Amino acid sequence: MARATLYHNIIPALDIEKEMNRWNKVLNITNQPKLSVNQTPKHEVWKKNKASLWVYPAVEKKYDVPIFLINSLVNRAYCFDFTPGASVIEILVNAGYDVYLLDWGFPGYEDKDTNLEDYIDDYLRKGVQRALRHSGAESISLVGYCLGGILAAVYASIAEESIRNLVLVTPPIDWDVNTFIPDKWLEGIKNGTLNLDRFIDSYGIIPKFYQEQMFKAVNSPISYTPYINLLNHADDKRFVEKWCTMNNYLTDTVPFTRGAYKQLVNDIIKDNKLVKGEFAVHGKKVDFRNIKENLLVLSSKYDTLVHQDQSRPIMELVSSEDKTLQEVKAGHLNIALSGKLGVELDKWLCHRS
Amino acid sequence: MTNQKSFDPYDLFNKFSSQLEKQVNDLIMTNTNNPRFTRLLQKSTETTAMYKEMFKKSQELLGNQLQLPNKDDVANVAKLAIQTEEKLDSLEEQIWTLNDSVSATNKEIESIVGVSSDIIKLTKQLKTELSKTKLELAATKELSSELKVIKNELADVKGLKEELSILLQIMSEKNIDKKDHEESELASSPSK
Repeated sequence: MARATLYHNIIPALDIEKEMNRWNKVLNITNQPKLSVNQTPKHEVWKKNKASLWVYPAVEKKYDVPIFLINSLVNRAYCFDFTPGASVIEILVNAGYDVYLLDWGFPGYEDKDTNLEDYIDDYLRKGVQRALRHSGAESISLVGYCLGGILAAVYASIAEESIRNLVLVTPPIDWDVNTFIPDKWLEGIKNGTLNLDRFIDSYGIIPKFYQEQMFKAVNSPISYTPYINLLNHADDKRFVEKWCTMNNYLTDTVPFTRGAYKQLVNDIIKDNKLVKGEFAVHGKKVDFRNIKENLLVLSSKYDTLVHQDQSRPIMELVSSEDKTLQEVKAGHLNIALSGKLGVELDKWLCHRS
Repeated sequence: MTNQKSFDPYDLFNKFSSQLEKQVNDLIMTNTNNPRFTRLLQKSTETTAMYKEMFKKSQELLGNQLQLPNKDDVANVAKLAIQTEEKLDSLEEQIWTLNDSVSATNKEIESIVGVSSDIIKLTKQLKTELSKTKLELAATKELSSELKVIKNELADVKGLKEELSILLQIMSEKNIDKKDHEESELASSPSK
Protein backbone atom coordinates (compact mmCIF):
# COMPACT_ATOMS: atom_id res chain seq x y z
CA MET A 1 0.00 0.00 0.00
CA ALA A 2 1.48 3.36 -0.98
CA ARG A 3 1.87 5.93 1.73
CA ALA A 4 0.74 9.50 1.30
CA THR A 5 3.67 11.92 1.57
CA LEU A 6 3.98 15.63 2.11
CA TYR A 7 5.16 16.29 -1.41
CA HIS A 8 3.04 13.66 -3.08
CA ASN A 9 2.19 16.06 -5.90
CA ILE A 10 5.90 16.37 -6.84
CA ILE A 11 7.44 13.07 -5.75
CA PRO A 12 5.15 10.02 -6.29
CA ALA A 13 4.68 7.73 -3.29
CA LEU A 14 6.74 4.58 -2.71
CA ASP A 15 4.92 1.24 -2.30
CA ILE A 16 6.78 -0.20 0.72
CA GLU A 17 5.13 -3.61 0.65
CA LYS A 18 5.94 -4.08 -3.00
CA GLU A 19 9.54 -3.09 -2.37
CA MET A 20 9.86 -5.45 0.56
CA ASN A 21 8.49 -8.29 -1.54
CA ARG A 22 10.87 -7.40 -4.36
CA TRP A 23 14.00 -7.34 -2.20
CA ASN A 24 12.96 -10.47 -0.39
CA LYS A 25 12.77 -12.36 -3.68
CA VAL A 26 16.06 -10.91 -4.95
CA LEU A 27 18.03 -11.68 -1.80
CA ASN A 28 16.59 -15.21 -1.65
CA ILE A 29 16.93 -15.81 -5.36
CA THR A 30 18.73 -19.11 -4.89
CA ASN A 31 15.72 -20.48 -3.01
CA GLN A 32 13.13 -19.34 -5.52
CA PRO A 33 11.16 -22.04 -7.32
CA LYS A 34 12.04 -22.80 -10.92
CA LEU A 35 9.75 -23.90 -13.71
CA SER A 36 9.84 -27.62 -14.46
CA VAL A 37 11.89 -28.45 -17.51
CA ASN A 38 11.93 -31.52 -19.72
CA GLN A 39 8.29 -32.38 -19.06
CA THR A 40 7.20 -33.90 -22.38
CA PRO A 41 6.74 -37.69 -21.98
CA LYS A 42 9.70 -39.64 -23.32
CA HIS A 43 11.57 -42.91 -22.95
CA GLU A 44 15.11 -44.01 -23.66
CA VAL A 45 15.79 -45.97 -26.82
CA TRP A 46 19.55 -46.33 -26.72
CA LYS A 47 22.48 -45.38 -24.59
CA LYS A 48 26.14 -45.11 -25.55
CA ASN A 49 28.70 -43.95 -23.05
CA LYS A 50 27.26 -40.67 -21.76
CA ALA A 51 24.92 -40.10 -24.70
CA SER A 52 21.26 -41.10 -24.72
CA LEU A 53 18.74 -41.34 -27.51
CA TRP A 54 15.28 -40.34 -26.32
CA VAL A 55 12.02 -40.81 -28.15
CA TYR A 56 9.05 -38.50 -27.64
CA PRO A 57 6.05 -40.30 -29.17
CA ALA A 58 3.53 -38.23 -31.07
CA VAL A 59 0.28 -37.53 -29.24
CA GLU A 60 -1.58 -38.57 -32.40
CA LYS A 61 0.75 -39.70 -35.16
CA LYS A 62 0.13 -37.94 -38.47
CA TYR A 63 3.48 -38.12 -40.19
CA ASP A 64 5.50 -41.18 -41.13
CA VAL A 65 8.87 -39.43 -41.16
CA PRO A 66 10.16 -38.94 -37.62
CA ILE A 67 12.29 -35.97 -36.57
CA PHE A 68 15.79 -36.40 -35.18
CA LEU A 69 17.02 -33.45 -33.11
CA ILE A 70 20.75 -32.86 -32.76
CA ASN A 71 21.79 -30.49 -30.02
CA SER A 72 24.95 -28.45 -29.73
CA LEU A 73 27.78 -30.16 -27.85
CA VAL A 74 28.09 -27.31 -25.35
CA ASN A 75 24.49 -26.88 -24.21
CA ARG A 76 22.11 -29.12 -22.37
CA ALA A 77 19.62 -30.94 -24.58
CA TYR A 78 16.59 -29.80 -22.63
CA CYS A 79 16.71 -26.51 -24.53
CA PHE A 80 14.36 -28.29 -26.95
CA ASP A 81 11.97 -29.16 -24.12
CA PHE A 82 12.37 -26.14 -21.94
CA THR A 83 9.07 -25.63 -20.16
CA PRO A 84 5.47 -26.55 -20.98
CA GLY A 85 4.22 -23.90 -23.38
CA ALA A 86 7.76 -23.02 -24.50
CA SER A 87 8.90 -26.41 -25.74
CA VAL A 88 9.91 -27.25 -29.29
CA ILE A 89 9.32 -30.96 -28.70
CA GLU A 90 5.90 -30.37 -27.18
CA ILE A 91 4.81 -28.45 -30.28
CA LEU A 92 6.12 -31.17 -32.61
CA VAL A 93 4.57 -34.14 -30.77
CA ASN A 94 1.25 -32.31 -30.56
CA ALA A 95 1.48 -31.70 -34.31
CA GLY A 96 1.83 -35.44 -34.91
CA TYR A 97 5.56 -36.13 -35.29
CA ASP A 98 7.57 -38.80 -33.50
CA VAL A 99 10.63 -36.96 -32.19
CA TYR A 100 14.01 -38.44 -31.36
CA LEU A 101 16.55 -36.41 -29.38
CA LEU A 102 20.23 -37.30 -29.10
CA ASP A 103 21.42 -36.01 -25.74
CA TRP A 104 25.23 -35.97 -25.85
CA GLY A 105 25.47 -36.09 -22.06
CA PHE A 106 28.37 -34.87 -19.92
CA PRO A 107 31.74 -36.05 -21.22
CA GLY A 108 34.19 -37.19 -18.60
CA TYR A 109 37.99 -37.12 -18.51
CA GLU A 110 38.05 -40.49 -20.30
CA ASP A 111 36.30 -38.86 -23.28
CA LYS A 112 38.92 -36.12 -23.69
CA ASP A 113 40.08 -37.44 -27.05
CA THR A 114 36.59 -37.78 -28.54
CA ASN A 115 36.56 -35.47 -31.55
CA LEU A 116 33.89 -34.30 -33.97
CA GLU A 117 34.51 -37.29 -36.27
CA ASP A 118 33.82 -39.67 -33.39
CA TYR A 119 30.67 -37.79 -32.44
CA ILE A 120 29.43 -38.01 -36.03
CA ASP A 121 30.43 -41.57 -36.86
CA ASP A 122 30.06 -43.36 -33.52
CA TYR A 123 27.21 -41.46 -31.94
CA LEU A 124 25.16 -39.61 -34.53
CA ARG A 125 25.23 -42.22 -37.29
CA LYS A 126 24.42 -45.03 -34.89
CA GLY A 127 21.75 -42.92 -33.22
CA VAL A 128 20.06 -42.34 -36.57
CA GLN A 129 20.24 -46.07 -37.35
CA ARG A 130 18.68 -46.88 -34.01
CA ALA A 131 15.97 -44.28 -34.52
CA LEU A 132 15.12 -45.65 -37.97
CA ARG A 133 14.96 -49.17 -36.62
CA HIS A 134 12.90 -48.17 -33.60
CA SER A 135 10.42 -46.12 -35.62
CA GLY A 136 10.20 -48.55 -38.55
CA ALA A 137 10.32 -45.52 -40.86
CA GLU A 138 12.06 -45.57 -44.22
CA SER A 139 13.59 -42.12 -43.85
CA ILE A 140 14.12 -39.46 -41.22
CA SER A 141 14.29 -35.66 -40.86
CA LEU A 142 17.46 -34.30 -39.26
CA VAL A 143 17.35 -31.04 -37.31
CA GLY A 144 20.69 -29.64 -36.10
CA TYR A 145 21.01 -26.63 -33.81
CA CYS A 146 24.13 -24.45 -33.81
CA LEU A 147 27.14 -26.80 -33.50
CA GLY A 148 24.63 -29.62 -33.93
CA GLY A 149 23.86 -28.04 -37.30
CA ILE A 150 27.47 -28.54 -38.36
CA LEU A 151 27.31 -32.16 -37.23
CA ALA A 152 24.00 -32.68 -39.05
CA ALA A 153 25.30 -31.13 -42.29
CA VAL A 154 28.52 -33.15 -42.21
CA TYR A 155 26.66 -36.37 -41.46
CA ALA A 156 24.07 -35.73 -44.19
CA SER A 157 26.85 -35.40 -46.77
CA ILE A 158 28.32 -38.83 -45.93
CA ALA A 159 25.25 -40.72 -44.72
CA GLU A 160 24.18 -44.03 -46.19
CA GLU A 161 20.97 -43.94 -44.21
CA SER A 162 17.90 -42.46 -45.85
CA ILE A 163 17.41 -38.81 -44.89
CA ARG A 164 14.34 -37.04 -46.21
CA ASN A 165 14.79 -33.52 -44.81
CA LEU A 166 17.66 -31.55 -43.33
CA VAL A 167 17.07 -28.52 -41.12
CA LEU A 168 19.99 -26.41 -39.90
CA VAL A 169 19.31 -23.84 -37.20
CA THR A 170 21.93 -21.06 -36.99
CA PRO A 171 24.79 -23.28 -38.15
CA PRO A 172 28.21 -21.57 -38.18
CA ILE A 173 29.41 -23.09 -41.45
CA ASP A 174 31.65 -20.38 -42.91
CA TRP A 175 34.37 -18.70 -40.85
CA ASP A 176 35.85 -16.47 -43.56
CA VAL A 177 32.91 -14.06 -43.38
CA ASN A 178 31.57 -11.69 -40.71
CA THR A 179 31.48 -13.29 -37.29
CA PHE A 180 30.83 -12.06 -33.77
CA ILE A 181 34.31 -13.06 -32.62
CA PRO A 182 36.48 -9.94 -32.32
CA ASP A 183 38.36 -9.71 -35.60
CA LYS A 184 41.85 -9.56 -34.06
CA TRP A 185 41.14 -12.69 -32.02
CA LEU A 186 39.92 -14.48 -35.14
CA GLU A 187 43.00 -13.26 -36.98
CA GLY A 188 45.16 -14.60 -34.15
CA ILE A 189 43.44 -18.00 -34.37
CA LYS A 190 43.89 -18.14 -38.14
CA ASN A 191 47.57 -17.15 -38.15
CA GLY A 192 48.43 -19.26 -35.12
CA THR A 193 49.22 -16.37 -32.77
CA LEU A 194 46.37 -17.39 -30.51
CA ASN A 195 46.58 -21.13 -29.98
CA LEU A 196 45.04 -22.57 -26.84
CA ASP A 197 45.75 -26.22 -27.66
CA ARG A 198 48.39 -26.66 -24.95
CA PHE A 199 46.13 -24.99 -22.39
CA ILE A 200 43.21 -27.24 -23.32
CA ASP A 201 45.49 -30.31 -23.39
CA SER A 202 46.46 -29.70 -19.78
CA TYR A 203 42.80 -29.90 -18.76
CA GLY A 204 41.54 -32.58 -21.14
CA ILE A 205 37.97 -31.39 -20.79
CA ILE A 206 37.35 -27.63 -20.89
CA PRO A 207 35.99 -26.80 -17.42
CA LYS A 208 32.49 -25.33 -17.30
CA PHE A 209 33.76 -22.06 -15.82
CA TYR A 210 36.19 -21.44 -18.68
CA GLN A 211 33.54 -22.32 -21.22
CA GLU A 212 31.04 -19.86 -19.74
CA GLN A 213 33.68 -17.13 -19.67
CA MET A 214 34.62 -17.95 -23.28
CA PHE A 215 31.05 -17.37 -24.46
CA LYS A 216 30.76 -14.24 -22.31
CA ALA A 217 34.02 -12.88 -23.69
CA VAL A 218 32.64 -13.06 -27.22
CA ASN A 219 29.28 -11.54 -26.33
CA SER A 220 29.47 -9.33 -23.29
CA PRO A 221 32.27 -9.80 -20.75
CA ILE A 222 30.43 -7.75 -18.15
CA SER A 223 26.83 -8.82 -17.88
CA TYR A 224 24.66 -7.62 -14.99
CA THR A 225 21.58 -6.53 -16.96
CA PRO A 226 19.79 -9.82 -16.23
CA TYR A 227 20.13 -9.09 -12.51
CA ILE A 228 18.87 -5.54 -12.95
CA ASN A 229 15.94 -6.93 -14.94
CA LEU A 230 15.29 -9.32 -12.10
CA LEU A 231 15.38 -6.48 -9.61
CA ASN A 232 13.00 -4.54 -11.82
CA HIS A 233 10.43 -7.31 -12.10
CA ALA A 234 11.00 -9.27 -8.88
CA ASP A 235 7.45 -8.62 -7.69
CA ASP A 236 6.16 -10.72 -10.61
CA LYS A 237 6.23 -14.35 -9.43
CA ARG A 238 6.03 -15.78 -12.97
CA PHE A 239 8.91 -13.57 -14.12
CA VAL A 240 11.08 -14.73 -11.21
CA GLU A 241 10.37 -18.38 -11.98
CA LYS A 242 11.22 -17.91 -15.65
CA TRP A 243 14.34 -15.93 -14.75
CA CYS A 244 15.57 -18.65 -12.39
CA THR A 245 14.92 -21.36 -14.96
CA MET A 246 16.72 -19.41 -17.69
CA ASN A 247 19.63 -18.54 -15.40
CA ASN A 248 19.94 -22.18 -14.45
CA TYR A 249 20.07 -23.18 -18.11
CA LEU A 250 22.65 -20.54 -19.02
CA THR A 251 24.99 -21.67 -16.26
CA ASP A 252 24.36 -25.35 -17.00
CA THR A 253 26.82 -25.70 -19.87
CA VAL A 254 28.30 -28.99 -21.00
CA PRO A 255 32.09 -29.41 -20.92
CA PHE A 256 33.78 -29.59 -24.31
CA THR A 257 36.33 -32.32 -25.01
CA ARG A 258 39.81 -31.31 -26.15
CA GLY A 259 39.53 -33.49 -29.27
CA ALA A 260 36.34 -31.76 -30.37
CA TYR A 261 37.68 -28.32 -29.42
CA LYS A 262 40.88 -28.78 -31.40
CA GLN A 263 39.04 -30.02 -34.46
CA LEU A 264 36.50 -27.21 -34.25
CA VAL A 265 39.11 -24.49 -33.86
CA ASN A 266 41.85 -25.84 -36.13
CA ASP A 267 39.87 -27.51 -38.92
CA ILE A 268 36.63 -25.59 -39.02
CA ILE A 269 37.45 -22.08 -37.75
CA LYS A 270 41.12 -21.72 -38.70
CA ASP A 271 41.25 -23.66 -41.99
CA ASN A 272 37.55 -23.28 -42.89
CA LYS A 273 37.62 -26.86 -44.18
CA LEU A 274 33.86 -27.27 -44.33
CA VAL A 275 33.39 -24.68 -47.04
CA LYS A 276 36.54 -25.74 -48.89
CA GLY A 277 35.43 -29.38 -48.88
CA GLU A 278 38.57 -30.55 -47.11
CA PHE A 279 36.95 -31.91 -43.95
CA ALA A 280 36.86 -35.68 -43.59
CA VAL A 281 35.19 -38.07 -41.18
CA HIS A 282 37.36 -41.15 -40.62
CA GLY A 283 38.65 -40.95 -44.16
CA LYS A 284 35.33 -40.13 -45.80
CA LYS A 285 35.55 -36.75 -47.51
CA VAL A 286 32.77 -34.34 -46.61
CA ASP A 287 31.35 -32.70 -49.70
CA PHE A 288 28.18 -30.67 -49.25
CA ARG A 289 27.31 -31.32 -52.89
CA ASN A 290 26.27 -34.80 -51.76
CA ILE A 291 23.41 -33.22 -49.83
CA LYS A 292 20.36 -33.67 -52.04
CA GLU A 293 17.74 -33.73 -49.31
CA ASN A 294 15.18 -31.00 -48.79
CA LEU A 295 17.02 -28.27 -46.91
CA LEU A 296 15.85 -25.56 -44.55
CA VAL A 297 18.34 -23.15 -43.02
CA LEU A 298 17.07 -20.95 -40.21
CA SER A 299 19.06 -17.91 -39.11
CA SER A 300 18.25 -15.70 -36.13
CA LYS A 301 17.91 -11.99 -36.75
CA TYR A 302 19.01 -11.02 -33.23
CA ASP A 303 21.72 -13.66 -32.89
CA THR A 304 24.84 -12.50 -31.05
CA LEU A 305 26.84 -15.74 -31.31
CA VAL A 306 26.45 -16.91 -34.92
CA HIS A 307 26.34 -14.24 -37.61
CA GLN A 308 23.74 -14.68 -40.34
CA ASP A 309 26.51 -14.54 -42.97
CA GLN A 310 27.97 -17.72 -41.49
CA SER A 311 24.84 -19.75 -42.23
CA ARG A 312 24.14 -18.53 -45.78
CA PRO A 313 27.01 -20.14 -47.77
CA ILE A 314 25.68 -23.67 -47.39
CA MET A 315 22.78 -22.75 -49.69
CA GLU A 316 25.23 -22.48 -52.60
CA LEU A 317 27.19 -25.60 -51.65
CA VAL A 318 24.40 -28.19 -51.55
CA SER A 319 22.75 -29.95 -54.50
CA SER A 320 19.26 -29.90 -53.04
CA GLU A 321 16.50 -28.79 -55.36
CA ASP A 322 14.16 -27.85 -52.50
CA LYS A 323 16.15 -25.46 -50.31
CA THR A 324 14.97 -22.53 -48.21
CA LEU A 325 16.82 -19.88 -46.21
CA GLN A 326 14.62 -18.27 -43.62
CA GLU A 327 15.20 -15.55 -41.05
CA VAL A 328 13.50 -15.87 -37.68
CA LYS A 329 13.03 -12.88 -35.40
CA ALA A 330 14.68 -14.37 -32.36
CA GLY A 331 18.01 -14.61 -30.58
CA HIS A 332 20.45 -17.49 -30.66
CA LEU A 333 19.03 -19.23 -27.60
CA ASN A 334 15.60 -17.67 -27.69
CA ILE A 335 14.70 -19.42 -30.96
CA ALA A 336 14.71 -22.76 -29.13
CA LEU A 337 13.90 -21.71 -25.58
CA SER A 338 10.74 -19.86 -26.61
CA GLY A 339 9.44 -22.71 -28.79
CA LYS A 340 9.46 -20.61 -32.00
CA LEU A 341 11.62 -23.25 -33.61
CA GLY A 342 8.82 -25.81 -33.21
CA VAL A 343 6.37 -23.60 -35.07
CA GLU A 344 8.81 -23.00 -37.95
CA LEU A 345 9.69 -26.69 -38.17
CA ASP A 346 6.06 -27.75 -38.31
CA LYS A 347 5.26 -25.17 -41.01
CA TRP A 348 8.02 -26.52 -43.24
CA LEU A 349 8.03 -30.22 -42.42
CA CYS A 350 4.27 -30.78 -42.63
CA HIS A 351 4.49 -30.67 -46.45
CA ARG A 352 7.58 -32.87 -46.58
CA SER A 353 6.85 -35.69 -44.15
CA MET B 1 -4.77 4.36 0.73
CA THR B 2 -3.79 6.92 -1.86
CA ASN B 3 -5.04 6.93 -5.43
CA GLN B 4 -1.60 7.74 -6.77
CA LYS B 5 0.49 5.62 -9.06
CA SER B 6 3.28 3.95 -7.06
CA PHE B 7 6.79 5.13 -7.76
CA ASP B 8 9.16 2.65 -9.43
CA PRO B 9 12.73 3.92 -9.22
CA TYR B 10 14.16 0.90 -10.94
CA ASP B 11 13.07 1.72 -14.49
CA LEU B 12 15.52 4.59 -14.67
CA PHE B 13 18.21 2.52 -12.96
CA ASN B 14 17.56 -0.29 -15.46
CA LYS B 15 18.03 2.01 -18.45
CA PHE B 16 21.10 3.62 -16.95
CA SER B 17 22.73 0.31 -16.04
CA SER B 18 22.10 -1.27 -19.45
CA GLN B 19 23.70 1.75 -21.14
CA LEU B 20 26.62 1.59 -18.73
CA GLU B 21 27.03 -2.14 -19.35
CA LYS B 22 27.12 -1.59 -23.09
CA GLN B 23 29.72 1.16 -22.71
CA VAL B 24 31.87 -0.96 -20.39
CA ASN B 25 31.69 -3.93 -22.77
CA ASP B 26 32.55 -1.74 -25.74
CA LEU B 27 35.51 -0.36 -23.79
CA ILE B 28 36.69 -3.88 -22.95
CA MET B 29 36.29 -4.98 -26.59
CA THR B 30 38.19 -1.93 -27.83
CA ASN B 31 41.07 -2.57 -25.45
CA THR B 32 41.25 -6.32 -26.06
CA ASN B 33 40.62 -6.46 -29.79
CA ASN B 34 44.27 -6.07 -30.75
CA PRO B 35 47.25 -8.34 -31.48
CA ARG B 36 48.99 -7.41 -28.20
CA PHE B 37 46.10 -8.81 -26.20
CA THR B 38 46.07 -12.03 -28.20
CA ARG B 39 49.82 -12.43 -27.62
CA LEU B 40 49.31 -11.72 -23.91
CA LEU B 41 46.50 -14.26 -23.79
CA GLN B 42 48.67 -16.81 -25.56
CA LYS B 43 51.57 -16.28 -23.13
CA SER B 44 49.38 -16.42 -20.05
CA THR B 45 47.61 -19.60 -21.18
CA GLU B 46 50.96 -21.20 -22.00
CA THR B 47 52.27 -20.30 -18.57
CA THR B 48 49.16 -21.68 -16.93
CA ALA B 49 49.45 -24.84 -19.01
CA MET B 50 53.09 -25.20 -18.07
CA TYR B 51 52.34 -24.97 -14.34
CA LYS B 52 49.39 -27.32 -14.73
CA GLU B 53 51.63 -29.87 -16.46
CA MET B 54 54.25 -29.53 -13.71
CA PHE B 55 51.57 -30.01 -11.08
CA LYS B 56 50.23 -33.05 -12.91
CA LYS B 57 53.70 -34.63 -13.13
CA SER B 58 54.33 -34.03 -9.44
CA GLN B 59 50.96 -35.48 -8.61
CA GLU B 60 51.71 -38.60 -10.70
CA LEU B 61 55.10 -39.01 -9.03
CA LEU B 62 53.62 -38.69 -5.56
CA GLY B 63 50.73 -40.94 -6.47
CA ASN B 64 53.12 -43.63 -7.67
CA GLN B 65 55.02 -43.51 -4.40
CA LEU B 66 51.89 -43.61 -2.28
CA GLN B 67 50.20 -46.21 -4.52
CA LEU B 68 47.34 -43.85 -5.27
CA PRO B 69 45.49 -43.87 -8.59
CA ASN B 70 45.31 -40.67 -10.59
CA LYS B 71 42.83 -39.30 -13.10
CA ASP B 72 44.41 -41.15 -16.02
CA ASP B 73 44.13 -44.49 -14.23
CA VAL B 74 40.44 -43.93 -13.53
CA ALA B 75 39.95 -42.77 -17.13
CA ASN B 76 41.59 -45.94 -18.45
CA VAL B 77 39.21 -48.08 -16.41
CA ALA B 78 36.27 -46.07 -17.71
CA LYS B 79 37.56 -46.54 -21.28
CA LEU B 80 37.49 -50.31 -20.77
CA ALA B 81 33.83 -50.05 -19.77
CA ILE B 82 33.14 -47.91 -22.85
CA GLN B 83 34.91 -50.43 -25.09
CA THR B 84 32.84 -53.26 -23.58
CA GLU B 85 29.68 -51.30 -24.25
CA GLU B 86 30.78 -50.70 -27.85
CA LYS B 87 31.40 -54.41 -28.35
CA LEU B 88 27.96 -55.23 -26.98
CA ASP B 89 26.44 -52.65 -29.33
CA SER B 90 28.32 -54.14 -32.26
CA LEU B 91 27.15 -57.65 -31.29
CA GLU B 92 23.59 -56.38 -31.07
CA GLU B 93 23.92 -54.87 -34.55
CA GLN B 94 25.31 -58.13 -35.90
CA ILE B 95 22.38 -60.01 -34.38
CA TRP B 96 20.02 -57.53 -36.00
CA THR B 97 21.75 -58.06 -39.35
CA LEU B 98 21.41 -61.82 -38.94
CA ASN B 99 17.77 -61.43 -37.93
CA ASP B 100 17.13 -59.27 -40.95
CA SER B 101 18.82 -61.73 -43.31
CA VAL B 102 16.96 -64.69 -41.74
CA SER B 103 13.62 -62.93 -42.08
CA ALA B 104 14.49 -61.98 -45.68
CA THR B 105 15.40 -65.63 -46.37
CA ASN B 106 12.16 -66.75 -44.70
CA LYS B 107 10.21 -64.42 -46.93
CA GLU B 108 11.97 -65.81 -50.01
CA ILE B 109 11.24 -69.36 -48.87
CA GLU B 110 7.61 -68.44 -48.29
CA SER B 111 7.35 -67.00 -51.76
CA ILE B 112 9.01 -70.11 -53.25
CA VAL B 113 6.61 -72.33 -51.29
CA GLY B 114 3.72 -70.28 -52.62
CA VAL B 115 4.96 -70.63 -56.18
CA SER B 116 5.50 -74.39 -55.70
CA SER B 117 1.96 -74.95 -54.42
CA ASP B 118 0.65 -73.04 -57.44
CA ILE B 119 2.71 -75.29 -59.71
CA ILE B 120 1.35 -78.42 -57.97
CA LYS B 121 -2.24 -77.24 -58.44
CA LEU B 122 -1.56 -76.56 -62.08
CA THR B 123 0.00 -80.00 -62.53
CA LYS B 124 -3.04 -81.68 -60.96
CA GLN B 125 -5.32 -79.75 -63.25
CA LEU B 126 -3.28 -80.78 -66.26
CA LYS B 127 -3.43 -84.45 -65.16
CA THR B 128 -7.21 -84.33 -64.88
CA GLU B 129 -7.48 -82.76 -68.29
CA LEU B 130 -5.09 -85.33 -69.73
CA SER B 131 -7.21 -88.25 -68.49
CA LYS B 132 -10.32 -86.54 -69.90
CA THR B 133 -8.57 -86.09 -73.18
CA LYS B 134 -7.57 -89.77 -73.22
CA LEU B 135 -11.16 -90.85 -72.70
CA GLU B 136 -12.30 -88.56 -75.44
CA LEU B 137 -9.59 -89.92 -77.70
CA ALA B 138 -10.74 -93.50 -77.09
CA ALA B 139 -14.31 -92.52 -77.87
CA THR B 140 -13.15 -90.76 -81.00
CA LYS B 141 -11.28 -93.88 -82.12
CA GLU B 142 -14.39 -96.00 -81.67
CA LEU B 143 -16.39 -93.59 -83.72
CA SER B 144 -13.73 -93.63 -86.36
CA SER B 145 -13.80 -97.43 -86.64
CA GLU B 146 -17.59 -97.42 -86.84
CA LEU B 147 -17.40 -94.82 -89.53
CA LYS B 148 -14.99 -97.03 -91.46
CA VAL B 149 -17.41 -99.97 -91.26
CA ILE B 150 -20.20 -97.74 -92.47
CA LYS B 151 -17.98 -96.53 -95.29
CA ASN B 152 -17.21 -100.10 -96.33
CA GLU B 153 -20.88 -101.03 -96.29
CA LEU B 154 -21.67 -97.97 -98.28
CA ALA B 155 -19.01 -99.01 -100.79
CA ASP B 156 -20.61 -102.46 -100.99
CA VAL B 157 -24.01 -100.88 -101.48
CA LYS B 158 -22.59 -98.73 -104.21
CA GLY B 159 -21.13 -101.81 -105.92
CA LEU B 160 -24.48 -103.55 -105.67
CA LYS B 161 -26.13 -100.53 -107.10
CA GLU B 162 -23.80 -100.51 -110.04
CA GLU B 163 -24.41 -104.22 -110.69
CA LEU B 164 -28.11 -103.64 -110.42
CA SER B 165 -27.92 -100.86 -112.92
CA ILE B 166 -25.91 -103.05 -115.28
CA LEU B 167 -28.48 -105.80 -114.85
CA LEU B 168 -31.26 -103.39 -115.48
CA GLN B 169 -29.53 -102.22 -118.57
CA ILE B 170 -29.00 -105.72 -119.77
CA MET B 171 -32.62 -106.53 -119.01
CA SER B 172 -33.82 -103.50 -120.80
CA GLU B 173 -31.68 -104.42 -123.83
CA LYS B 174 -33.05 -107.90 -123.73
CA ASN B 175 -36.60 -106.54 -123.51
CA ILE B 176 -35.93 -104.35 -126.49
CA ASP B 177 -34.52 -107.29 -128.45
CA LYS B 178 -37.52 -109.40 -127.47
CA LYS B 179 -39.86 -106.67 -128.53
CA ASP B 180 -38.10 -106.30 -131.79
CA HIS B 181 -38.22 -110.05 -132.33
CA GLU B 182 -41.91 -110.14 -131.46
CA GLU B 183 -42.61 -107.30 -133.81
CA SER B 184 -40.71 -108.94 -136.57
CA GLU B 185 -42.64 -112.24 -135.95
CA LEU B 186 -45.93 -110.36 -136.00
CA ALA B 187 -44.98 -108.70 -139.19
CA SER B 188 -44.11 -111.96 -140.90
CA SER B 189 -47.18 -114.08 -139.63
CA PRO B 190 -50.24 -112.40 -141.46
CA SER B 191 -48.77 -113.11 -144.93
CA LYS B 192 -49.17 -116.83 -144.37
